[in-house]
Amino acid sequence: MIDVVHLTKRFGDRTVLDDLTLHFDNGEVASVVGPSGGGKSTFLRCLNGLETFDLGSVQIGPDKLEAGGLSHAAIARIRQRVGFVFQQWHLFAHQTALENVIEAPIHVKKVARATAIEKAKALLAKVEMSHREHAYPRELSGGEQQRVAIARALAMEPDALLMDEPTSALDPSRVGDLVALLGRLAKEGLTLVIVTHDYDFARAVCTRSVALESGKVVRDGKPSDVLAETPL
Amino acid sequence: MKRSAATCALALGSIVIGLLAVGSSSCSSEPSGGTLDRIRASGKLRWGGDMQGGEPYVSEDPNRPGKLVGFEVDLAEAIAREMGVRAEFVQNDWSNLVPSLERGTFDIAMNGLEVTKARVGRVLFTRPYYIFQMRLMARHGDARVRPSLRSLRGLRVGTLANSQSWEALQDTGAEVLPYEGVEEPYIDLEVSRTDAVLLDHIIADRYGVPHTKLRVVGDLGEGYYSIAVRRGDDGLRTALDRALEAISKRGALRRILRKHGIDDAAQARLATWSDTDTTRMISERAAAQRAAGGTQADVKKPFTWHHFMLFLQGALVTLVVSTAAMALAIPLGILLALARLYLPRTPFAWIAGAYVEVFRGTPVLLQLYLLYYGLPGLWEGLKLDAWTAAIVGLGLNYAAYEAEIYRGGILAVPKGQLEAAWSLGMSTPLAVRRVILPQAFRIALPGVTNDYIALLKDSSLVSVITVVELTKRMTITAVDVRSWLVPGLLCALLYFSMSYPLSILARKLEARLHGESR
Repeated sequence: MIDVVHLTKRFGDRTVLDDLTLHFDNGEVASVVGPSGGGKSTFLRCLNGLETFDLGSVQIGPDKLEAGGLSHAAIARIRQRVGFVFQQWHLFAHQTALENVIEAPIHVKKVARATAIEKAKALLAKVEMSHREHAYPRELSGGEQQRVAIARALAMEPDALLMDEPTSALDPSRVGDLVALLGRLAKEGLTLVIVTHDYDFARAVCTRSVALESGKVVRDGKPSDVLAETPL
Repeated sequence: MKRSAATCALALGSIVIGLLAVGSSSCSSEPSGGTLDRIRASGKLRWGGDMQGGEPYVSEDPNRPGKLVGFEVDLAEAIAREMGVRAEFVQNDWSNLVPSLERGTFDIAMNGLEVTKARVGRVLFTRPYYIFQMRLMARHGDARVRPSLRSLRGLRVGTLANSQSWEALQDTGAEVLPYEGVEEPYIDLEVSRTDAVLLDHIIADRYGVPHTKLRVVGDLGEGYYSIAVRRGDDGLRTALDRALEAISKRGALRRILRKHGIDDAAQARLATWSDTDTTRMISERAAAQRAAGGTQADVKKPFTWHHFMLFLQGALVTLVVSTAAMALAIPLGILLALARLYLPRTPFAWIAGAYVEVFRGTPVLLQLYLLYYGLPGLWEGLKLDAWTAAIVGLGLNYAAYEAEIYRGGILAVPKGQLEAAWSLGMSTPLAVRRVILPQAFRIALPGVTNDYIALLKDSSLVSVITVVELTKRMTITAVDVRSWLVPGLLCALLYFSMSYPLSILARKLEARLHGESR
């Protein structure tokens, strides 16, 4: 599903991602862990074309992102195939929850408005946000915004979802709900790649963990093994 | 909201009352003879004029900046010498010479001031120092314009506001266009924005005749330039009359006129002019003023319902010009802001940046002049009518300010919003249109409202290109009714009643939009 080959990314003299080669299978639920500044978030952003890189390639389905020349159409296709949930969610501030979810289907996928609304309502029900569909982002709690952001990403019917630190801005009492939601999504076959430093969360959700240090994969395997050997 | 409106009305009311009190106290003129005594005591005769009026009246010597030349400069010196004092020039806007004289800014006004109906009731005039003709000019081949006022019915005729020609053109059925300067009426006539120009022959000969496309149609009556003094200054007027008489009788006046190339046979009458002639000149005009509706020459013409309707019309012009200019400035401003932010290091960004700096960094008045009077000289096809030039000129200028407001608004939208849009497969243009601009607009709204209100007032500048909007209507009426107080207050009230609802509307809109964002 996601094939990363010799991925190298530099910021000036500093090598952030150093010749990474990784593969994620369809339906896999993987966490990416490691110390701060180890390149986790940059790695995730490269998978979605939000970050360019210097060497290597990222293949997602039939489309391939390569260092340097990236066609806009290819990036757009890849972004539709791989959803992204930001650490701070970044819901569109001027739109209600429902409007956030229907925005991209209508304007990118050209789905009819009525169809988009019908589907968006189903997605909001799935993330248990039906009761707040007409609320604006500023009226929602962090956990609620995150659920809407997940629904917004799912509305594009992606094969995979990339999540950046999903528990860092979350009330600890809400983490259980998120674990349950992601468990349901994984059961439906969605591939999840989650950057996190929350090991309890990673153990509860993931089937695989990848530890990044200084831009290199230092450990890769079962969460119980990888997390035990990786300092927080 | 209701309470704040009431508070404002109250505040405005007390300002009105305050101004009325000030107005009535300043109306009392100086004790008679006082000015003459002061001139003698100080040894200075302060005379008011406008050096922008140009040759041959009073103007700056192009070879010696700061030095004044003109036949009135020579005349003022001759009169002062005759009175045993020194002449001192006081610069003043021509259209406000009479109010400034009344306020005591200078002792006498002498700058091509025609003895008109409106002025005879307001100031005292001396014997004339020049006899002029109202000269009609039109384009070659335009047979509609003949040497009579009647032929002007239905035509557009340019002249100086509140001049004798201006008075002569009232009630002729002509559409009279008021100008501030002497060059502009002839430029507009040449490019067919108007059909004829009626002005003093000195002006016509010097500023009209050089235009090769124009011809002199004929003269429509004579008039007089006299020195104006404040009412009550009878002693000063007598002293000036004696000085002028002496200068005229010994031929010095005509020598001055000859030196400046404006002497002609008609001026021979000045040497034999008597005080009876002066009385007749004044009373003829006072009679005309009475016939026109004034009861007595020295009674102020009241501010009537007719004036009020003209004010409303002026307010409508202001509103239409401002709104149309804003409708042009907003989309253009958005394009400029987008070019600067999203096409960096391209010629588009460079052009947009230069546009903003140039239009923001030069006076809008200058831009209006160049657009209206300058462009047709470049190419005939760029001849805009006054309304279009007013709207386009203000719109282009305000677009520069709008661009900066939107640029600030766009920059204030968090970067994450754009990334979130990208992550959903949106292209940058789509993300800007659907996600960034709607939020930037909310942030920019207070600035845009502010600009719109500023534009309402800045639109008064378009009077320089003959659009009679609210402020221009006010100044014309102020001269007409001989008071700045009532027209000024009404004008302020009308501006306020346009801008205040606008700020309330904008505040409500802001409050509503704020509910939606962040």
